Amino acid sequence: MKDKKKFQINKYIFISILSICFGIFVWWLVTDGLGIFRSNALPSPVKVFESFIKKWYETKPDGATLLEHLIASLQVALGGYVIGAVIGIPLGIFMAWNDKIDMCVRPVFDLVRTIPGVAWTSVMVTLVGIGFLSKALVIFISAMVAMVINSYSGIKQTKTVHLWVGQTFGASNWELLTKIAIPSALPMIFTGLDVALGSAWTTLVAAELLASTKGLGFMIQQARGIFRLDIVIVGMIVIAITGAVLSTIIQWLGRKMIKGGRT
Amino acid sequence: MAEKQKRVAFGALGIFIFLCIWYAATTLTSLGKVMPDPITVLAGFFTAFVEPIGTHSMIMHILVSLRRMLIPYFFGGVLGVLVGILMGWYKLADAILMPYIQMIRPIPPIAWIPLSIVWFGFDEGSKYFLIFLACFFTIALTTYNGVHSVDETLVRAARMLGAKDNQLFTSIVLPTTVPYIFSGLQVALGSAWATIVAAEMIRSSEGVGWLIISGQEVGNMTQIMVGIMAIALTGLLITSIMRGVESKLCAWTVRGK
Repeated sequence: MKDKKKFQINKYIFISILSICFGIFVWWLVTDGLGIFRSNALPSPVKVFESFIKKWYETKPDGATLLEHLIASLQVALGGYVIGAVIGIPLGIFMAWNDKIDMCVRPVFDLVRTIPGVAWTSVMVTLVGIGFLSKALVIFISAMVAMVINSYSGIKQTKTVHLWVGQTFGASNWELLTKIAIPSALPMIFTGLDVALGSAWTTLVAAELLASTKGLGFMIQQARGIFRLDIVIVGMIVIAITGAVLSTIIQWLGRKMIKGGRT
Repeated sequence: MAEKQKRVAFGALGIFIFLCIWYAATTLTSLGKVMPDPITVLAGFFTAFVEPIGTHSMIMHILVSLRRMLIPYFFGGVLGVLVGILMGWYKLADAILMPYIQMIRPIPPIAWIPLSIVWFGFDEGSKYFLIFLACFFTIALTTYNGVHSVDETLVRAARMLGAKDNQLFTSIVLPTTVPYIFSGLQVALGSAWATIVAAEMIRSSEGVGWLIISGQEVGNMTQIMVGIMAIALTGLLITSIMRGVESKLCAWTVRGK
């Protein structure tokens, strides 16, 4: 019985691999194989792979290697993200803990959070010009919003019973917050870190498509202009992989830091 | 009741303080040279409904963006639900399609913009494609998770009592999955709205995203802020409508409440 089940799982993994191989074969067939699509409409998988290797040391056609673009993007994204988290988490906790401030700030915050991060690009470009600062500010806003929402709801979900127990044993307000509310909100805070990372990375790509002189978004936009779709696809793949890797790191950190009761 | 009144009063106070700070910051400091005060923005927002910006009035810009978003949202939703159920129910479909979804999903929809412009041109086609991508994967995956969360015992019990496949589907699988589908639809709606704004900012000649980008090009900060206001309010409106629909249709779940 057990062997049969194992065999079944292996069978499906085999089908998955077969499915991917078939997909790449069809991709190859319609491009290089039969020549239905020209490389300025859909480059072949071989060409994309070649460009991926070449782009690590070649600066053509956009003036920087893949690594330089990647580092430029990461700098902006992580810069904005870290500041967003450093301000967003305490703000969310503070908002949730203090009822009066909550009632005052909440409506303003609900208004601001409905604005997609990208929309801030225009404001920031007009205020501080195209460059590191404007992009970092846009990412800061979009990351901070996600951070505040999640740490806020994390604190709000603290079980009242736990707080009562704390009060019965004579814990001060500060102890209630740091010993009960924050530890129980940690899973939500880490969810927030993950969500914020996703939105920071997406917003960064958008900001780079709109206004920049370096970075992965800039690279694919430039490559599009001269119909080098192989580079566009390389850029998209690198964007996807980087996003996935960053998210995995955060999730791993979350598993390390959160003690007990996982939900 | 008193609690609710207090809440409204404090909320109004909060917004009032926010507007005061904004007003003071723009009138008293040099920030006012680049940033309009809230009264100008509000006035600009309302006059935009009467006086056209570019070729359309505000209401037309909003409707254009909404049309661009809702048509592919609908198709992405229908197809996403179908594929999600298919993958959730049949292991073979799961094995064939899942690797593709896992590979394509990490790419932010916005990163597709250059490719979609080459494939579908600068017109509506490329925007439809983008929004479709933004919705399809989210909805397919949440539906898939929904089908997987069906209680195995219930299915076996129903089978033993002689339920046919279509009965199984309508009375067990669907009721469990619908709340998941709705949470997918809700998330997809938000990301579709953000994506259409980005797409319009990169290339378009009308719509709410165009409002801000054309404001940026001529250095008209009031128009940018008016555009942002329109985006925020429309986004708020569509998500509240969606939430309302959800609580009507899924009255039996916790999420619906």
